[in-house]
Amino acid sequence: MDSLRIFALRLLGVFRKRQLDGELDRELRTHMDALAEENMRRGMNEQEARHAARRQFGGIEQTKESYRDQRGLPFFETLAEDLRYALRMLVKSPGFTLVTILTLALGIGANTGLFSLINSVLLGNLPVPDPQELVVIKYTDARSGEAEEDFSYPMYQALRDKNTVFLNVLTRSGVDFNASYGGQSERAIGEMVSGNYFETLGVQPFLGRLIGPEDDRIPGAHPVAVLSYGYWQRRFGSDPSIVGKNIVLNDNPIRVIGITPPRFYGTEMARNPDIRVPMMMATVFRPVPANRLENPRHRWMTVLARRKPEISVAQARASLDILYHQILAAELQELGAGVNAHDKERALASRIQLEHGNQGFAHLRTEMERPLLLMFSVTGIVLLVACANLANLLLARNAKRKQEISVRLAIGASRARLIRQWLTESLVLSALGGCAGIVVAYWAKTALLGFLPADLSANLQAPMDLRVLVFALLSSLATGLLFGLAPALQLSETGVAAALRADAPSIASGERLFSLRSALIFLQVALSLPLLIGAGLFLHSLRNLRGVNTGFVKENVFLASLNPSMNGYPQERIRSLYDDLLARVRTLPGVRAASFTTSSVISGGWDQESVKVEGYQPGPDENVSPNAAVISPGYFTTLGIPFVEGRDFTEQDTVSGPKVVIINETMAHYFFGSKDPLGRKIGTDDDPKVAPDREIIGVVKDAKYVHLSEAPRRHFYAPMAQEPRLFDMTLQVRTSGDPEKIGDLVRAQVHDLDLNLPLYATTTLEVQIDDSLAEQRLLTWLSSLFGLLATLLASLGLSGVVAFSVARRTREIGIRMALGAQPGDILHHVVSKMGFLVAAGMAVGVAAAYGLSRLLGSMLFEVGAADPLAFAGACFLLGVVAALAAYLPARRATRVDPVVALRYE
Amino acid sequence: MAQTRGEVLQGTLDLIVLKTLDALGPLHGYGIAVRIQQVSADLLKLNQGTLYPALLRLEQRGWISSKWGVSDNNRKAKYYSLTRSGRKQLLAETESWERMTALMTRLLGRAEGA
Repeated sequence: MDSLRIFALRLLGVFRKRQLDGELDRELRTHMDALAEENMRRGMNEQEARHAARRQFGGIEQTKESYRDQRGLPFFETLAEDLRYALRMLVKSPGFTLVTILTLALGIGANTGLFSLINSVLLGNLPVPDPQELVVIKYTDARSGEAEEDFSYPMYQALRDKNTVFLNVLTRSGVDFNASYGGQSERAIGEMVSGNYFETLGVQPFLGRLIGPEDDRIPGAHPVAVLSYGYWQRRFGSDPSIVGKNIVLNDNPIRVIGITPPRFYGTEMARNPDIRVPMMMATVFRPVPANRLENPRHRWMTVLARRKPEISVAQARASLDILYHQILAAELQELGAGVNAHDKERALASRIQLEHGNQGFAHLRTEMERPLLLMFSVTGIVLLVACANLANLLLARNAKRKQEISVRLAIGASRARLIRQWLTESLVLSALGGCAGIVVAYWAKTALLGFLPADLSANLQAPMDLRVLVFALLSSLATGLLFGLAPALQLSETGVAAALRADAPSIASGERLFSLRSALIFLQVALSLPLLIGAGLFLHSLRNLRGVNTGFVKENVFLASLNPSMNGYPQERIRSLYDDLLARVRTLPGVRAASFTTSSVISGGWDQESVKVEGYQPGPDENVSPNAAVISPGYFTTLGIPFVEGRDFTEQDTVSGPKVVIINETMAHYFFGSKDPLGRKIGTDDDPKVAPDREIIGVVKDAKYVHLSEAPRRHFYAPMAQEPRLFDMTLQVRTSGDPEKIGDLVRAQVHDLDLNLPLYATTTLEVQIDDSLAEQRLLTWLSSLFGLLATLLASLGLSGVVAFSVARRTREIGIRMALGAQPGDILHHVVSKMGFLVAAGMAVGVAAAYGLSRLLGSMLFEVGAADPLAFAGACFLLGVVAALAAYLPARRATRVDPVVALRYE
Repeated sequence: MAQTRGEVLQGTLDLIVLKTLDALGPLHGYGIAVRIQQVSADLLKLNQGTLYPALLRLEQRGWISSKWGVSDNNRKAKYYSLTRSGRKQLLAETESWERMTALMTRLLGRAEGA
């Protein structure tokens, strides 16, 4: 309490300074007068009396000083003084100030922008109470050794009911909806959740109520749904009366019972389902296979548990593993003799794995962790280079202020006081840069999100929250200290006497000083080069990817997907709808070919199907599941995939005719070697007793199917007409002109055929391929941008140092020229040291890049870690830029007129 | 120890000032300085200027208060007087000072005797 009052009084003292100073003056004068009078009474004359009084009193100015220190808040007053001085200095050299703030804003902004992504993707928790108690349940697949996370419903039930370590275990599975309301239908992202889903997560309703255990008892009997806040806002205009009303999901009336809170997005970041329904509704929304909820071999759902707080993750894992093996053993028992010993052994070799679930299912994290951290280190290095640059700038500026500094030192300023003032100056700069950096960070973040595919970025907010702001603050503080320290270091080497000597740029002067600046140049080059090399590696990799022979013609193909099966139509209607649509689209103007497929190329998705091949005996663990697609006639014409031999499907390949397939070259080689596959048969029936029954009628050239970077895959195609059940299909249309223009015409045809059929994922094949390269493109762009930025900064620094040294050595150069040195000699003399520095920096940079590029490994496509093109290109670029940066100011040295130079000073 | 003209210990000056004001009532800075010099018979070497930061410190703590008045020879001067909490502080400090000196006396006395 007391100290608070004293602080308040002192604070008051700061603001009433002038008045209080006056009072103190008067008080002290009275005292002195009284002392002097007393002395005169003792017989001194006036002058003597005053002298004696002053002796008795002690130093008046010292008294005032310590009185003022006691009265006010000296720390803050000095700070205010320094701030005022710093601002004055900054205003006086606006160019320097602007360059500095801009550099810092870019550096801090880029770092903060990336940190905001890292903050939400890598550090963010699920917005639920006690997220640290959540665990994701996974198991290792015995064959691949990889962690899998899909469980069957009976397995989930057993895990939920028989464990002793969890408070609750939830399960969920994704589903797509065709949602209709008020005469409008659209596609919505759905999720089927267990009755304890919200209870386990601890989520309270925003409106109405959420799905509870009572909504999840009997298969198909709970037509209720919960909407996400965002969907409710978007689709229903935040109308609260929707709760209690019916909406139509895939042709089923479903009652909306509640809305989830605004911040809740579910169990996976960046995937925010619009509509949630009880798991028991799986029989309605995903009717095939019909025994989905009973079949222990059908694994299709993921499981998240909340552990009891007193149980550690390791304990929970051990306990759950035992339970898991009991369940597996029971399942195998039930299957009996149908399973051979090898399969049995493999199944039992599987182990439970628990992962921390504070982020839920962290697929986004797994995918983005490496690129994000990589880019974060890149921006960190750029900021370091920027710091070195600013340190160099400050050094140059202080060299010009040398006279001022010496005077200050001579009249008694302590070094600490000077350093304190300079640090204040650099901190003011970095604070201003940090503020501007926050604005830059916001742009950077928005731009970064723009680079990501839309479905990923849509739910990824990466807000500029407190943590991000604190990061910006700390990084500007750190940079301010870092580059502000350079002049301080230099000061400790300066002696007052040396500094006070008329600032004569003699021949030997500045060598010590020069070394700090040289070290900074060396550092900048050594840091920039790896960034440039990294950019080169990514550029090379991206060029390789773009140049990949896809096996199809990507230009002028329009893509759109539709799923009439969601509307609950019988198969005949779905079939005729697809047939009608294809016939109509083929007659549209500008359409050269059109076809359907179940999986469109380079969309990131694929189907695999296990096959039996006539005359081929697979090994025990051999993978005999090629990629598969169900297609309409005209598929190969639409994509421009050539036939090696045989024929395409036709209208004559009907359900009643002989079953036919087309395979690709890789598959033909794999199963038939050099023999002709035409006329041979393959089968896809699970039952080993059914003989292969699909005749191979054609072989097509290979293509890229899932990623551009994939190795050749085995692939076969089956005709739509012979597929027992059809679900969603992607329409692909080859046009003669701009494929985007056909979109509206196609949409009109679909609308004409069926009002309630939404068309989704409309795009072009080129865009789809481009989207598949989003991460590569982002990395390439960012690393090039930052690599060039760092190089630019480094060369500016280099330029500055050379210019500075030429200016200081004008006289020396004059003497040399007077003694007969040629311009070439002078140039060599001025630049050779820089050349050595840059070469040394580049050597270190190359070594560092060689070591680090191995870490990129899988991020690069057909580019070695020691890619000569990237290394040579980067070195060449940096070398040329550095040579230019040194040459331009050095040229001035050759123009020095010896007469002028020697008369100088 | 050779040093007879004692340097003023930090804290001691505070006590002296408080005691002076207690004994003489409201006084200006010069008055306090004169009084200290008289009482200490010049044993205490005091730069009179150091009084002023001390006075300010005591005032900030609320032990003394100040107000402008007119001195004997018609000069405007700032008069300092002891406050209620200043008196309490004086008592407390006197007591602790006495305890301290008693202790030191006993300690030093015994040490000499041994």
